[in-house]
Amino acid sequence: MATSLSYREKSLYASLVAELAVYGPYFFLHRQNSVNRVAGMILAIIVLQIILQSIIAAFTRNRITDERDRLIELRGYRVGYFTLASLMILGLGMLWFHAALGHFPIEGRWVGLHFLNVFFGMLVISDIAKTTTQIVTYRRAL
Amino acid sequence: MTQQELADKVGVTRQTVIAIEQDRYSPSLETAFKVATVLGVRLEECFQYEPRGKRS
Repeated sequence: MATSLSYREKSLYASLVAELAVYGPYFFLHRQNSVNRVAGMILAIIVLQIILQSIIAAFTRNRITDERDRLIELRGYRVGYFTLASLMILGLGMLWFHAALGHFPIEGRWVGLHFLNVFFGMLVISDIAKTTTQIVTYRRAL
Repeated sequence: MTQQELADKVGVTRQTVIAIEQDRYSPSLETAFKVATVLGVRLEECFQYEPRGKRS
């Protein structure tokens, strides 16, 4: 029997689509980086999330969140936290290694942008891991 | 009683009711008691415990 998606599941799918649509081009279609590009990316994700979540809320009558939703959300946050912690440790280790070898000549503000992209990328990966975990858990046994 | 009606009376989503029926989710004790109360049966008639791996 086909099971329709709950409001929470629809919201998760929309969030994942928005993240992939905005962050994918930002990180993989690499052009000259700039503060304006970062600001545009942040604005795009905010606007797209608002639009998609509003559409889903408008077309979903029953928006109740029950105990199963909360448990799945907790599992997602746990996976997201461990993903972020692991990436942070890995990233700090790499930074320390390269800094020890003298691989970071000071080049003004571009160094800051590179660090911004690295740490923001960690947050994005962790958030995608959190969302994906919740989506998978909804389909499988809890 | 439909799944949606049961879900509304118990206070969960229809998808949670489906997950319980398909043995993909074990509800809390409070929810289990609510389901039994709504259905008008005893808790043991609604839910049985069978260790995983021994279910038929």
